[in-house]
Amino acid sequence: MTLLAPIGALALLALPAILVLYFLKVRRPQTRVATIQFWRPFVADRQANTPWQRLRPSLLLALQLLAALALALALLRPGLSGAAGIDRTTVVLLDGSASMSATDVSPTRFDAAVARARRLAGQLGPGQQMAVVLVGQHAALLAPPSHDTAVINAALDRAHPTGGEVDLGEALSLANAVVSGRPGGSILLLGDGHARQPGAPPRLAAPLHFEPIGVSGENLAIEAISRARSNSVFIRVGNYGRVERDARIEIFADERLVDVLPVRVGGNSTADLTWTGLSARTQVLQARITPGDALAIDDSAWLVTSAPPVRRVLLVTEENGFLERALKLRSGIDLTVRKKANFKAGEPYDLYVFDGWVPPGKLPEPALVIAPTDGVGPVPLGSQLSPGAVLPGDQRDPLTQDVVLKDVHVQSAYRVAVPPGWRTVIAAVDTPLLLVHEGEPRIAELTFDIHHSDLPLRPAFPILVQNLLGYLLPGGYENRIFPTGRPVTIAAEPGARSIEVVTPSGRVVRLGPPFPPSPFSETAVPGVYTVRQQLPAGPRLSQFVVQFADPDLSRIAVGGAPLVLESNRPATAPPRGTLELWPWLAVAALLLLTGEWWVFHRGPRLGHA
Amino acid sequence: MLSPAELNLLSRLDLSFRRPVSGLYAGERRSPRAARSPEFSDFRPYVAGDDFRQIDWRAYARLERLMLRLYVAEEESSLNVVLDASASMEVGTPAKWPAARRLAAALAFIGLSSMDRVAVGVLGDRRLHTPHLRGKDGVARIWSFLETLQTGGAAGPAQLTELDWSRPGMTVVISDFLSEESKGVAQWSAPVAGLRRRRQEPLLWQILAPDEENPTLSGDWLLVTAESEESRELTITPALVAEYLSGLADHRAALRQAADGAGGRLVASLSSHGLEEQMVAGMARGAIRR
Repeated sequence: MTLLAPIGALALLALPAILVLYFLKVRRPQTRVATIQFWRPFVADRQANTPWQRLRPSLLLALQLLAALALALALLRPGLSGAAGIDRTTVVLLDGSASMSATDVSPTRFDAAVARARRLAGQLGPGQQMAVVLVGQHAALLAPPSHDTAVINAALDRAHPTGGEVDLGEALSLANAVVSGRPGGSILLLGDGHARQPGAPPRLAAPLHFEPIGVSGENLAIEAISRARSNSVFIRVGNYGRVERDARIEIFADERLVDVLPVRVGGNSTADLTWTGLSARTQVLQARITPGDALAIDDSAWLVTSAPPVRRVLLVTEENGFLERALKLRSGIDLTVRKKANFKAGEPYDLYVFDGWVPPGKLPEPALVIAPTDGVGPVPLGSQLSPGAVLPGDQRDPLTQDVVLKDVHVQSAYRVAVPPGWRTVIAAVDTPLLLVHEGEPRIAELTFDIHHSDLPLRPAFPILVQNLLGYLLPGGYENRIFPTGRPVTIAAEPGARSIEVVTPSGRVVRLGPPFPPSPFSETAVPGVYTVRQQLPAGPRLSQFVVQFADPDLSRIAVGGAPLVLESNRPATAPPRGTLELWPWLAVAALLLLTGEWWVFHRGPRLGHA
Repeated sequence: MLSPAELNLLSRLDLSFRRPVSGLYAGERRSPRAARSPEFSDFRPYVAGDDFRQIDWRAYARLERLMLRLYVAEEESSLNVVLDASASMEVGTPAKWPAARRLAAALAFIGLSSMDRVAVGVLGDRRLHTPHLRGKDGVARIWSFLETLQTGGAAGPAQLTELDWSRPGMTVVISDFLSEESKGVAQWSAPVAGLRRRRQEPLLWQILAPDEENPTLSGDWLLVTAESEESRELTITPALVAEYLSGLADHRAALRQAADGAGGRLVASLSSHGLEEQMVAGMARGAIRR
């Protein structure tokens, strides 16, 4: 038991004050009446009729003293030590992963975590501080260490779950930085165990306590939706729970319900559906699981079925089947393959790809240039060398997004110097391997012949080519599906005066001017996003889909505590906080005062005289 | 003392006697004796000694029996108005005394208008009263008598027995009927019954102030009685007020029982009431009629 506000002891002076008032003779106003025969003698016990009378047992006096005592104790703010409370410096990590929006805990897991953090903030005592970190794709310090409950609550008001996976490692690093140098620190993680853990267990500067939030693991999700060449639509439904489920898949064509497909999915398995009712006029197809479940974000999937704009691409190569197939993967590409001898300058294409050769004179744009040993490329090649190990790509760079380079080896490349206005996207130990020109004109150059590497044999190759197409061909986002929570790079078409994105909720986000437009990052909500560009020829609308497709997060069963290395600090018991008792004391005082009022008004019937 | 409009109202009203009364002179009150008057009462067979003038010859023609026509005798009655002028009548907001005095003046006017013999006296002072007056000429004398009265002293049930009204009729007692002497339910029963024995029909008219009818006091008070200066310290609570109201209701019930037992009535009104409302209260209890 601790007293959080010892100065409240002054309120105990109310007790002798009540006694003194009880002893003092009350000065009564006088009035004349015709008779007093109907007024039964009654004087309330709370007042004396003679000064300094002997203290008589009185129920009213006892109730008044008890009420005053309860109020005084409430002002003292007594508290009981409780488990899972707060340490001297506690960093609360709020898991903001998409699975925290599950409603198996009312109203949602994330709201329950915020409420738990609020309760902890309300129990802060003298010398105790609390910081709040939101575990998102990038950790955010919502509230620095503070003992002010209002500050922490204001920070918690700003907390929202993200639409995708979150990085726990970054949040733990931030928490480490917060508690470093502070005595008595602890880290409290409020989440469901789905935050992405760092590759290696981090060493923490304070003990980590994990409070799991969530009760159910039952969840259905639409894992995939795609359109086959036969114009049929393929839908895969996944059951991430243990119980076999019967559900219905509602098919909406341009927001009109056109079909309902029953589906039965066993526990921890998938079920595939094929739907053949797609109309040629349909622009957007949506599949939705009904009835809904605890996690709504993965219950729907969209497919933009309208044809994307045709892009003419010229590939100048002696022979490169890998590149040809990778380029054709993207829908809407009209690929022309020529040998360098057949290249005619001035032919209009949306994109030029020069493999091992560049034409003399001005390079047509936009262009992808691959190891131009014949001719002088935009970045002149130097001497040939063995570049060494390929460095991992930056996942934040849209060009290397989902491009895994750890298994890629490059036998030989050319030494280059990065000219001004260019940036390195992929590098080896000794030389850059992929450079892109920042802004206009859009040019990318590979400094190695892909045949001198195993890159074409890796899954990273087609992904890298698609990412490059997305950058080099304006409008490369069209009809594509992007994961929730990830920024989408939207390139404006030449001559565009403005570009903006309309979210599924109808909100308009302006991306440009200035150009090039900034990446679109408000992708927390899955659905169909519309891009609106003002071109000299008039407005142009195109669409892309943001889709939640993360099996790790759809598997909403509560995970375990993250694996971390023991703190350097001596192990302590779970942080103990203070369970304040003043609300109960205030209620007790209110009840006592109510009782005193009742006894006073019912006094004669209770036999007081 | 009363405005022309109030006199106009009172001139259309009359006191309602429960029992016929017999007086010395003809008046407007129904007498227990049969007599010649415009109002037919009954037939009865002729017996020797009856007045021949009362034989109904038409009935003899039809029945061949001598029958006498009987008429209601209308004779004067006496109205005795007893006014409580004790100190307690000055208590209350508004005070009861002005309302009681106006009520006495009004009842005296009604009685005199009905050719009754009217006397006004004071409860607690048997020497202070007017003689029995008759006709509207007595109005001025009675009103001037009322204007000379002052409140003070004490009055209770015992003083009612000191009244000496020789003429039969109605005795109206206007009072709050609140005095320390009146403790107990039976205190007023004996004096009121004594009125009946003296051939008086009692009409007890209780006037209370609104704050006596529904006390608004709350908290700590020192209550001092107006008549005896007796005091009591009280903490007035809603429960205590409820007990007061219960005691007052019992007291009024005892008064009503005493009045009913003596063949009379009890009328209760408030000092805040105007004369018209007082008369309506009397009509509601049957003491006043049009």
